This record gives sequence, C-alpha cells and structure tokens, in this order.
Amino acid sequence: MIRREAAIVGIGQTQYAKALPPTAWELAVEAVLAALADAGVDPADVDGMCRFVAPFETVSEAMLVRSLGIRELSFFAQAPHGGEALGAVVAHAAAAISAGLANIVVVYRALSQSKGGRFGRADRGGPSAPRAPGAPSGSPAPDPAADIVVPEEDNRSFAWPYGLLSPGQLFALWATRYAAVHGLTSEDLTRTLGTIAITQRQYANNNPAAMMRDRKLDWDTYRQARMISEPLRLFDLCLENDGACAFVLTGADLARTLRDDPVYVLSATQTLAPYREPMGIYVPDLLELFPPAAADRLFGQAGVTRKDIDVAEFYDATSYMPLRSMESYGFAPEGAGWRYVLDRGTGPDSPLPVNTHGGHLSEAYLHGMNGIVEAVRQLRGTACNQVPDAEVALVGAPAGSATILAR
Amino acid sequence: MAIIPGRTELTSPFWEAASDGRLVAQQCRSCGQCWHPPLPACPHCHGTDLGWRELSGAGTVYTYTVVRHATHVALADQVPYVVAIVELAEGPRLVTRITGCPPGEVRAGMPVRVCFLPVADGVKLAYFEPA
Repeated sequence: MIRREAAIVGIGQTQYAKALPPTAWELAVEAVLAALADAGVDPADVDGMCRFVAPFETVSEAMLVRSLGIRELSFFAQAPHGGEALGAVVAHAAAAISAGLANIVVVYRALSQSKGGRFGRADRGGPSAPRAPGAPSGSPAPDPAADIVVPEEDNRSFAWPYGLLSPGQLFALWATRYAAVHGLTSEDLTRTLGTIAITQRQYANNNPAAMMRDRKLDWDTYRQARMISEPLRLFDLCLENDGACAFVLTGADLARTLRDDPVYVLSATQTLAPYREPMGIYVPDLLELFPPAAADRLFGQAGVTRKDIDVAEFYDATSYMPLRSMESYGFAPEGAGWRYVLDRGTGPDSPLPVNTHGGHLSEAYLHGMNGIVEAVRQLRGTACNQVPDAEVALVGAPAGSATILAR
Repeated sequence: MAIIPGRTELTSPFWEAASDGRLVAQQCRSCGQCWHPPLPACPHCHGTDLGWRELSGAGTVYTYTVVRHATHVALADQVPYVVAIVELAEGPRLVTRITGCPPGEVRAGMPVRVCFLPVADGVKLAYFEPA
C-alpha cells in the first residue's frame, strides 16, 4: 500500500504552444527546474527519476542528470504505452520512495511536436508513421511514388494498410461502438461530445496557460467544424503542441518539512490485460476503457469512494474518453455516462467537475501529465478554475492507469 | 503509393493467403481454438502445434469510422473511406475496410462478407462488403 507514503511537493511547466523555439531537452530542463524550485529542493539532491516511454519522448533521464547537475540517481524507471503510463509513473515513483530506493523523485514529460512529428500526421514522423525501420521520428514526408511497407510491431501491420493510422481514428471506432451499444442517435452523441469539448474550452478560457485561452468555442463553431473521423469532429480531438511539465515526489515526512500543503498519493495503478496495450483494437470489449478490477484497486487502495472525489482530470486524447471515463470509474452507470454529461455537465456546477484546466482538448497535450499538475493545483487551492474545498482528486487515463491524490 | 503490410515469419501466411484470395486465421491443432492476429503459442491451451484455418469470410461490422481527413499523403485521394473492425463468424475480429456501399450506409451490426482487393503488385488485402 502506498497510501499517504509519498507526496507531490513541486510542480512545474513551460509555456504550451503549437511551436516553441526551445528543443524538448530545453523544455524538460525548464519544467523540472520550475518543479524543483516550487518544491524548494536543490537539483543536486534529486536521486530518482521516472518518465514516459511515450512516442516523441526524446529526453532521457541521462540527459537530465547531465544537464541539471544531479549527483547521481539511485532509482530511475520508464513506463510504456503513451498516456497509459500516467498512473504508472506515479506508482513507480511512490513505490520506490516507499521501498527506500530514492528520496526525491522527479517525473516529467516533454514534447516537441513541431520538431519531432505530429500524432495527427502519420506521414510526418507521427508515432504511427509507416517509416522505414530505424528512421527517426520527424522524418520528412515519404516519396510519393514508393510503396510504404509497414514493419510489424504490436500488430500495426494489420491496421495501417487499411488506413487506421492515427489515434483519433481509433478513438472514433470506440465512440461509434459506444453509440451502437447504448442506442445513441448521431445527435445524442454530438450533443454529448460537444458538451464536453465546449465545457473544457470554457475552463481553458479562464486559464492563462491554456493554448485556447483566447479562443471561444460555441455550438455553431463546434458543429460546423470539419469531420475528421466520424463521429469525431475537429474540436473533439486534442491539441498538438510543444511543452513540458514535471512534478517532484518525496516521502511524506520529508514532504511536510518542505511545505505545508503537500499533495499525497492515495493510490496509483497500472494494468496490462490482453490486447489492452496501448490503444485497444482486439480487446474483447472495445468499450472497456478502464477494467472494473483496476477501478476497484484504485479506490480500494486509496481508501476513498466515488463520492469522495471532488474533481477529476480524465485523459482526453478525444472528447469520447471523458464520457466513457464517467462510467468506467463508476461515476455513472454503464451506458448512462452520456445522460450524466447532458444532465449534469462537467463544468463548475457539476457534481464532478472534469478537466478543469481545459484538458488535452483546450489547455495542451502532455500525455496526461498536465492533468496531474492541475490536480495538484486544485488540492492546493490555487487552480484558475478552483473547485471549492477540493480535497481529493482523480487523474485517470485509459487501460487501468490512474492515480488518486489528496490534501 | 500504397501502404502495404510488412511480413514476419509469424504473419506471412495471413498475407500470402489474402493475396491468394483466401481469409485465414491461426488455429491451435491441439484444442481447435482460432484467433487473430497471430501468436507464437495458443493462448488457450499453450499448445505450439499451430496451423491456419480457412474462414468463411462472413462477419458483421463490430464498429466503424468514416475517415474524412487523411492523416497520410498516401490516403489523400482515398478519403472518405470506411475503416471497420469486423467480427468474423468464427469469432476473431480484424481491422479492415468496408467497400461496395456509400460510407453513409455502413452500420454497426451490418452483415458483411470478405472480398480481396489488389493494393500493390502481388498484394491483395481482405476488405469487406455488404453481404
């Protein structure tokens, strides 16, 4: 049990924008130094590091040890599967602290899609780009005359030749299935997904760090935006950007000496079931966003119930995922999440405010790490869209990867 | 420009069959279970005596999406196209495309049957059309 054994004592982030001059390495340095300064920790004293092995994570822990003046790490770990590493990086870091492997662990995510390639352009070095084996991310567009041979890796050669190339297309398959199983009309689904996208934009409009701070989104604009992969329209899909964010985790005793408002880790999970990596196609039930047993572990180990969650930051590569998260984490019955969204919303007046920073749709896309940073702000009482008296927050990704944090 | 599947020793029989106009799935000779995509051992009985079963080619659309925005230059002249996960009568599911009807007519649960379309020299892929 890692409950209250470790706490987040520092958070940091860079500017988020479509394209920033600094490299991912420079962005990572900036975010980590900001998190350490927030924590009041000398970078030299960092002895643990944990990071994503997500596509485009080009900044290794070795690069940061070199560039931050860290003496040496006694623990470092990597978690695979993109955003589904979200709970894992917290679990690994907290477990290492609990086991005495490290005292001060830095977790970071740095992304430079302007330089490294875009998730939504498979021919521009995207993580699913059918490039030649060994060719780096961000390779130029392929020769239009040559056939592209998709190397077999994680069953990609069974999907890409059919034009299933980008994450958004896969999540569209999930959303269509949801509507079919639960009997939603096209209009029901549009209203539900649009409610999520517009609500998150409203949060972002009040968040100075959000890329979409100055861009309003109304129903006409949402509905008239181009269809990308039905049923998902432009504003159902997350942003592509440059940026980095980081947090610092220590043992609970040290945390209390560093600041008077540490944010404790109540639980953190990672889960791997057949075909659940990293974005399910062949999983037996395509609607299973978060396995029920994993949700039970998440809440059971945290010692809290759904009612105790004051705010949730749900992984939102698309607007479909917060919808299904409502059900998968048990905030709404199976198949009733869309009615929950339509009746109660996800805004400040909802029983469960969701993605209060604007999420990946409207703040920035950092594989869920910016959701953790936002949850810390909420629990410190310093968020732009502060949920009054927030005490417990859930940060959740798909595939059984999540964390519950508390004051 | 076509996007074609790379082959490994494990996956090659599936693609060879498709180019030959046959739809196959890996099958365990010990317990009879079949599955897709291929694996090095049977996930049901752990048998390693594996073969390939010819399938009927009948199935239903498990889910689908009409892709309207090409995410690769090779697909720019193909949008809109319909990507689907089809559940085969024999049980396994596969990623495919639906052809033979307007994109707007595809529905989840729709019965479909396999057809084989050439995409490059000597390469055919299993697509599905309304049954």
